[in-house]
Amino acid sequence: MAEPEAAATFDCFGGSCAVFVSGAGETGPARAAVAMARRRLQGWHARFSRFLPGSELSLVNGNPAAKLRVSPLMARLAQAVQMAGSLTGGLVDATLIDQIETAGYAGELREPLELARALERAPARRPAAASRSAGWRHIAVDAAAGTLERPPGVKLDSGGLGKGLFADVLGEALAGHGAFAISCGGDVALGGAAGLARAINVESPFDGSILHTFERRRTGVATSGIGRRSWLDRSGRPAHHLLNPATGRPAFTGLVQVTALAPSALLAEVYAKAAILSGPHGASAWLPYGGVIVREDGSHDVLGR
Amino acid sequence: MESDDLMGATMQPNHNAPPRQRPGEGPRQLGGRTLARQKLIAMRRRARRIRRLVAGLAAATFAAAFLTVYVQLASGHDPALSAAAKRSSTSGSSTSATHQSSASGRESSSSSASGRESSSSSAGGGESSTSSQSGGGESSSGPSAVTTAQS
Repeated sequence: MAEPEAAATFDCFGGSCAVFVSGAGETGPARAAVAMARRRLQGWHARFSRFLPGSELSLVNGNPAAKLRVSPLMARLAQAVQMAGSLTGGLVDATLIDQIETAGYAGELREPLELARALERAPARRPAAASRSAGWRHIAVDAAAGTLERPPGVKLDSGGLGKGLFADVLGEALAGHGAFAISCGGDVALGGAAGLARAINVESPFDGSILHTFERRRTGVATSGIGRRSWLDRSGRPAHHLLNPATGRPAFTGLVQVTALAPSALLAEVYAKAAILSGPHGASAWLPYGGVIVREDGSHDVLGR
Repeated sequence: MESDDLMGATMQPNHNAPPRQRPGEGPRQLGGRTLARQKLIAMRRRARRIRRLVAGLAAATFAAAFLTVYVQLASGHDPALSAAAKRSSTSGSSTSATHQSSASGRESSSSSASGRESSSSSAGGGESSTSSQSGGGESSSGPSAVTTAQS
């Protein structure tokens, strides 16, 4: 007999979040655990949004001091930014806030640009590369002391890394429940004490159809793409939120979406971003635990079924 | 019986017997009384016929409906169960991470046991609750599927 499953879906992080919990655990019965997860996610959204001037992230980014005290979760985010840059050789750089705001992403976006239209007007395709300045290299975190050091001007972007991190942090809290799944705008952490397998559907960026379904007991999953957070910049050029660190401009590499599986949602997020920025020839190297690569022509490859 | 009839002690009214003439009644008055009685008898007969017809039709309709429902349930095609299962699978089995929900979001809760299946939801309040139960007592639905899409 399966344990009762409680679930909630709600708007958060500029998209939609979902939480599923079965069985009782340290956080109480399933329904209470879902309510707790929802409260935490909405609280983190308020603390880590770069669009809210009073958020913890905005205050940290605007602080002129080189060394400052931060909350444990902010310290973990800073560590995640370091890890992503270090693991990908700077390909995944979460310190490009000035560049993305220059590209036109300085507030909540409305309807995304139609993907086919964006691809028609996009510049020549080429893989992204690391930035020379590499702001992530200059970040130092002392988690025990709760301090963050970085040169003034180096800003942290909670973006995709934050969603993966938050899914993992909630996953740690819900690990004692029979089964759980947390989806933070596409970044998913799932697991549970009962070891039940769960289906993970990968959605097409073109028509929303299901491209592939993985089945896992415990994993992190993340999907990164250029179809949703997209717009036309002031010059009428198509733009999106995945920047080429080398140019500071939106990267058009020939891929439109990559889904990555990894032991944690944060790692999956890093892999997915690194894969899409690497382009069709380098993407699969970033998917050691499997994933789905979607090209501009709509074709896709599934790795690690 | 004959003696009863002769004595006029039968309990059944004899409608064919000519009405007794009362003192002071003329032949015309007698004819009117007979006619009225005959009309009353005819009306009663008609009412009885209609009553029997309505009762028969009601019984036949009930029997037909009962038989239809019985056959459908006995053949394992309970429409209530299949509707609940459909609602349960659409609301609980898959949730997209990129679905744009407009207002305060929605919540749902599902539970499984053996024997029957039920589901209820409310749109306005942003909450719904689903419970799905399968027949065998051993089998149960697995965890809900999650959908990952670019955000």
